[in-house]
Amino acid sequence: MSRFTLKPVGWRPRLAPVKAETATPEQLAALDACPPAVRRSTYFLTLAHDPGSLGERGALFNIVMYAEGGLDRADRELSTAVVSMVNGCVYCTSVHAKRFSELTNDEPAMQRLLDEGWEAEPDPRRKAIADFTEALTRDPGATTARHLAPLRAAGLDDLEILDLIHSIAMFANANRLMLTLGDPLLPRSM
Amino acid sequence: MPDLPLPDLIEDLLGLAPDSAIGALRRQRPEALRHAEGAYRELLLPADPGGLTLAERAALARHVAEREGDAALAAHFAGLAPAPEASPRLVALLAYAEKVAMQPEGTAKADIDGLAALGLTARDIVAATQLIAFVPYQVRLLAGLRALMQEKAA
Repeated sequence: MSRFTLKPVGWRPRLAPVKAETATPEQLAALDACPPAVRRSTYFLTLAHDPGSLGERGALFNIVMYAEGGLDRADRELSTAVVSMVNGCVYCTSVHAKRFSELTNDEPAMQRLLDEGWEAEPDPRRKAIADFTEALTRDPGATTARHLAPLRAAGLDDLEILDLIHSIAMFANANRLMLTLGDPLLPRSM
Repeated sequence: MPDLPLPDLIEDLLGLAPDSAIGALRRQRPEALRHAEGAYRELLLPADPGGLTLAERAALARHVAEREGDAALAAHFAGLAPAPEASPRLVALLAYAEKVAMQPEGTAKADIDGLAALGLTARDIVAATQLIAFVPYQVRLLAGLRALMQEKAA
């Protein structure tokens, strides 16, 4: 068993979030640029203290995770779960591992990845995505065309690889925000 | 009439022409391009920087880019504003940047409280954290695009 889980993990901010009822028009507009499902979450209300960065960064997050075409959404979720594991973000891992499981209907594959990592991942496409994700996350400066070869061998085209790079980069950002601005609340059984 | 080219830090740093193969590829995700540039401007060059000065912002971004090994990005940040004067506040901000960028799992509520004790408001703290956390996005985007450019050149 690893510390990573598909069970819901909570998040407690380290500074008081903005209150929706007393938010400024600028803060509300920035929140509205974020994904609808999360725009009243504690996390986004915490980020709303700086509405300028929240609006731009929220819009960037939206397009990176949900843009039509290109890399399959499940592959984006796989990649962001792997980044989150590498960075030790238990909260982000649980959210994106769950989305992967829902999109693929393959919870056992994700549970195995959470428990054992991706070294022995049997699916060659998922293996290539996870390995590239880990490499670009850990040592961006060492990433070269050689690291793209397994992705090409798995059939990824240019746009899919660009989407993958965007997803990996986005979670270098997201994990740092989550890990710094709050604490994960782990399920009781852990 | 052709569209005017939008300013784009990533392309400038890579020496990437908008009509090159990778430039055209990036334009298949125009909103990713636009909002990455927008986030950069909001964080490094905001019209109203609040309590976190432009010089402090540039110094924090430069520190993270250097520590992440992207010399071109670090040099860009160094050129944005004169280095801020040495002060206990700057030391604390740079120590915070070091932790958030390089060992985010090791941060604690005390780090946030420490910034507040120095007089930073909630907005300043969130802006600093967003800024420090955004440079790793840029570093990995640049690194991934360099790998794609290298692949195309081969």
